Amino acid sequence: MIEIILLVSSVLFIFALKLFGRPSTAHRANTFAMLAMALAVFSAFNFDFSKYDPAFYITIVVSGLLGVLISKRVQMTQMPELVGLFNGFGGGASGAIAYVELSKSTLPLSDYFVAIFSMVIGVFTFSGSIIAVLKLRGKLNNVNTTIANIFSAFLPPLILLPSIWDDMEILTLEYFMLLSLIAGVIRVAVIGGADMPVVIAFLNSLSGIAAMSAGFIVNSIILIVAGALVGASGIILTLLMCAAMNRTLLDVLKGGFGGTTLNNEYEKDPISTSPEDVAIQLSYAESVVIVPGYGMAVAQAQAAVKELTNTLKDKNIEVKFAIHPVAGRMPGHMNVLLAEVDIDYEDMFTLEDINSEFSSTDVVIVLGANDVVNPLARTDEDSPIYGMPILDVDLAKQVIVIKRSMSPGYAGIANPLFINDNAKMLFADAKEGLENIIKSFELV
Amino acid sequence: MEATFLLTLLITFLASFIGYELISKIPQTLHTPLMSGSNAISGITLIAAILIYPEVGESQLLKIIVLIAIAFATLNIVGGFSVTGRILEMFKKND
Repeated sequence: MIEIILLVSSVLFIFALKLFGRPSTAHRANTFAMLAMALAVFSAFNFDFSKYDPAFYITIVVSGLLGVLISKRVQMTQMPELVGLFNGFGGGASGAIAYVELSKSTLPLSDYFVAIFSMVIGVFTFSGSIIAVLKLRGKLNNVNTTIANIFSAFLPPLILLPSIWDDMEILTLEYFMLLSLIAGVIRVAVIGGADMPVVIAFLNSLSGIAAMSAGFIVNSIILIVAGALVGASGIILTLLMCAAMNRTLLDVLKGGFGGTTLNNEYEKDPISTSPEDVAIQLSYAESVVIVPGYGMAVAQAQAAVKELTNTLKDKNIEVKFAIHPVAGRMPGHMNVLLAEVDIDYEDMFTLEDINSEFSSTDVVIVLGANDVVNPLARTDEDSPIYGMPILDVDLAKQVIVIKRSMSPGYAGIANPLFINDNAKMLFADAKEGLENIIKSFELV
Repeated sequence: MEATFLLTLLITFLASFIGYELISKIPQTLHTPLMSGSNAISGITLIAAILIYPEVGESQLLKIIVLIAIAFATLNIVGGFSVTGRILEMFKKND
């Protein structure tokens, strides 16, 4: 009977993953996954609920309620932090389970190594995710990579050392745990904010791998299957994000990229514009493409974006959104923010789909994005972003950049787009700038 | 023992392969809900906690550690699915 439940659960998990792949079926995917999870958890009890004391049930109920509470209260702009936090919890749980199993002396040797692996990965995911959350909340700045390099150099002797004290096995375990904890902290601490989409996806994958290896320890096929599914899907997202920046995963994890200003000098002053002029410019356009970036999320400008979109569409102006894969702080971040304000996902375009259209676009509005529209990625071989796929907005007829100042983006380099002949700067916060444009429309 | 272990490895490989194939063509719009949903699924490690809890023995410390694992995993599952539901609800109303 249990076997049948588990079979159904595995199949449901696989179906859920398939349904996640299409916008029209994705909401059903969540229901399928929940059902699969409920079946899997139920089967773990093996119809014997009396083996468990009140402390067990109270923990489940309280943490379940807490989970619902947190998830309902959080704002959409805080989604990267929340995903990171939950992810850390999953990894931490796997790490703790592996630790408990390792503390019991009955573990066969083959399981012993799997359990060590599970503990290390789980604890690393936990501490790494917590640091990622702190960074996303702006509570932690970039840490110098030297510390990370020193730690990496000392890691082999640090691991070999406890094996000399093999008469104190438990000490070794906690030692390993401590090392994994520190490794997670240091590894993520050196990685800059705009690399967070890679980090979040990578940690997500690791939490799946930790769960999968926990499945090996307790001999649970469903745990292995579900963990492997998560691990594989996380790896895909990780690689997609890396490809979108033309960097390798190792390079991203090495850290130290961005955050410092390398070059922010311009040959000439940019052309500054006003909300009124932008409104006039837009009203003469036939096609408009909006390029949102992290600045839109920071300024909470989604609602203003929607309002401007409505205003333009009422005037029969075509409005599209061009979204770079790593815009924002997690994969798909911009899409979620735009969906929150009811912008149709049919209007959101990927880099591959829209790049050929820029040359025939009348006006492009760059809203809080910088490096992902920097033409140096195409032209300057010495640039740190050279080779990164970018949105070719500089090819459009006119470009309006809404930005608070000329300060460089994450890569720390000047963006020649800002002084391009077809570009004008509207110096304002994303939300404020859009609201002023909308107000000006009423006067046009 | 040997044969079972190999079979388990085969299952692991197949599951990873299926996961990779199913997700490799996912549109960018769904990256966040996919990540948030698969994140919730990784809380399935709760099963391991449920399985080992009755056998943890006399040690109060180990028992507390398992309870922490249970709390973490439950938060991961319930919170993860709940927030994924919220995100997907926003995509749904576009249909």
